[in-house]
Amino acid sequence: MENIKNKKILIVDDEPEIRKMIESFLRKEGFFRIYLALTCEEALAICRLNKPHIAILDVMLPDGDGFELFSSIRQFSQMPVIFLTAKGEAQDRLLGLGLGADDYIVKPFLPRELILRLTAILKRVYINTIKQRLPIFKLEGCIVDLESAIVRSNKGEQTLTAKEHGLLLKLYENKGRIVTSDALCEAVWGDDYYGYENSLMVHIRRIREKIEINPSKPKNLLTIRGLGYKLIVKEE
Amino acid sequence: MDGVVHILRRFIGVTILICILLFIFNFIVLGSFVFNGMNEKQSPKKILENVVLNLEHKGKSYVLGKPAKKLLAQNHAWSMLIDNTGKVKWNYNLPKEIPLSYTLIDVAKFSRNYLMDYPVFVWKHNDGLVVVGYPKKSYAKYQFYFPISWMSSLPMRIVTLFVSNIILALFLSILIGTKLIKSVKPLIAGVHALSKEEPTYVEVKGIFSDLAESINHTSDILQEKNTALKARDEARSNWIAGISHDIRTPLSIVLGYASELEENMAISVEQRQQAGIIRKQAQKLRSLVSDLNLVSMLEYEMQPLNLKPVRLSVLARKVASEFLNNGLDEKFTITLDISDENIKVKADEKLLLRAINNLVQNSTIHNPNGCKILLKTCISSDNLTCYFIVSDNGKGVPRDKLSKLTELPYSSNKEHSFRNGHGLGLPMVARICQAHHGQLVLESEIEKGMKAIIQLPLYFED
Repeated sequence: MENIKNKKILIVDDEPEIRKMIESFLRKEGFFRIYLALTCEEALAICRLNKPHIAILDVMLPDGDGFELFSSIRQFSQMPVIFLTAKGEAQDRLLGLGLGADDYIVKPFLPRELILRLTAILKRVYINTIKQRLPIFKLEGCIVDLESAIVRSNKGEQTLTAKEHGLLLKLYENKGRIVTSDALCEAVWGDDYYGYENSLMVHIRRIREKIEINPSKPKNLLTIRGLGYKLIVKEE
Repeated sequence: MDGVVHILRRFIGVTILICILLFIFNFIVLGSFVFNGMNEKQSPKKILENVVLNLEHKGKSYVLGKPAKKLLAQNHAWSMLIDNTGKVKWNYNLPKEIPLSYTLIDVAKFSRNYLMDYPVFVWKHNDGLVVVGYPKKSYAKYQFYFPISWMSSLPMRIVTLFVSNIILALFLSILIGTKLIKSVKPLIAGVHALSKEEPTYVEVKGIFSDLAESINHTSDILQEKNTALKARDEARSNWIAGISHDIRTPLSIVLGYASELEENMAISVEQRQQAGIIRKQAQKLRSLVSDLNLVSMLEYEMQPLNLKPVRLSVLARKVASEFLNNGLDEKFTITLDISDENIKVKADEKLLLRAINNLVQNSTIHNPNGCKILLKTCISSDNLTCYFIVSDNGKGVPRDKLSKLTELPYSSNKEHSFRNGHGLGLPMVARICQAHHGQLVLESEIEKGMKAIIQLPLYFED
């Protein structure tokens, strides 16, 4: 984990106050190799010279726009890029993400949000060995290992089918939150999921038989009537 | 096209009416003017009868009664009686050149034509033939002969004449009518296009050329005005987009440092709370800016819509679980009432979610003491419109204020009083509905809760 903090971060924004603010937040979080640029030209020079690991780009820059800068950077570097911009229109967001940016954050933003997204991207890109693995988590009375698709409890080891695995993964990604039956169906059956609600109930029952101590009185996988389901995960 | 048929029908009707009127008119004129004077009061036939009646045999000679004499004198006519041998037995005012004896051939000749250019009329008398002669060139005599077969077929022929007249009139009226319509049709199309504000050009020719020119001119003016209006709307919308863009950068700094201070353990709890208030207000400003931008884009029809078939039930569950996941206070309950899982609309899902979220948010904001919120989806009885209803049992709004709620704030006829929120929420929801060819209907009464109905056209799968 600690090697994330020594990644080189480039901030390109023509607004000095914003640059200063982001820099101070990043420093507080423990990042220390921070480069600042206020034009495309400066940014490109820093990219070539210092080879930063991630860049935060504004879209409106004095000598061009961030989308162009992004394309120029892509010609020699595959580093992840986050757009941070005051242009909040849907088209701009789609354009930015469509170009292949890793994230698109609209100003005004909460600093915590920026830091979280930045570290998430850094983890995903540079600490891939950890992230590649699927989670193993503890529920009441059992341990679910999504990596090997196995539930371990005092009943022994039970394997998960592909559908059960997909549903549990979706529920785990939103642990402690209600996941609508629509979102669950979509995760497993894709866009054309309408009509699978009954199948979903069957799969949920089978999952409960594997992870619940008493499947008729579930404590881990709760039904939220009329909405969907919620997975309660004990602290890892 | 309907108009054209209508015009043609009217045109033919009027032509037939004119034909009938013309016929009646001619009949009257024929009787009262053309044939007037053809028959005098004292027709030759009448005088002749009079003479025959009043010619009496007295001894060897004949005496004509006074009234008959007077009649003859009045008409400058003369008379004679020819007996069976051809001799003139009696005469009255007989011109000198008239002979006094006639052969059968003579009689036959003058009875049909003239007697020495005198128009004469003959009548049978007990003692022979009475002849009444009129002055020369006072009468024209004609003889008519017709074959019986012709006479008997005459009614048929007259009917045929009438029918062919009517057919000709109809044919002509249709011909002229279609010709007229042919020249009117582009004008009609032009005027219809004008009413739809579509650009139009009508060829300038024929009797309606000045009208065509006017239509073309009007179309040009209309297009110019629309372009100008659109340019102005665009400018206004861009202006608002620019301002919201410019507000975002300073707002980032306020929001950033405020939330940083809120988490800063080096300062007192009170100061952290104050920083939290700044952060909350900045977030409020943030939502105001983005709502303002969206409302302005929708108002000037510049918001691109990413339309896809969307099931309303999915939206209802999504909104409800979103609120529950984000820690909705226990004072509030959200209930779902989904009558039909498969009610679909063609909509921009993000915009529609934003609208529904806004309505639920309103219920929570305006009822700080808690309320029951119901999300309901249903369909109209005619199967054309579907409803997404967000209702609560909260304190509601007086009915007379409802219509003002969807108007934009700061417009001239809306009072500026928003105790909660910025007043852009419901106008935004209403405009999102309009952008989807639907509408927002609000129903409420004080202490009887609020009911917001999003009405959208139902989506049919082909």
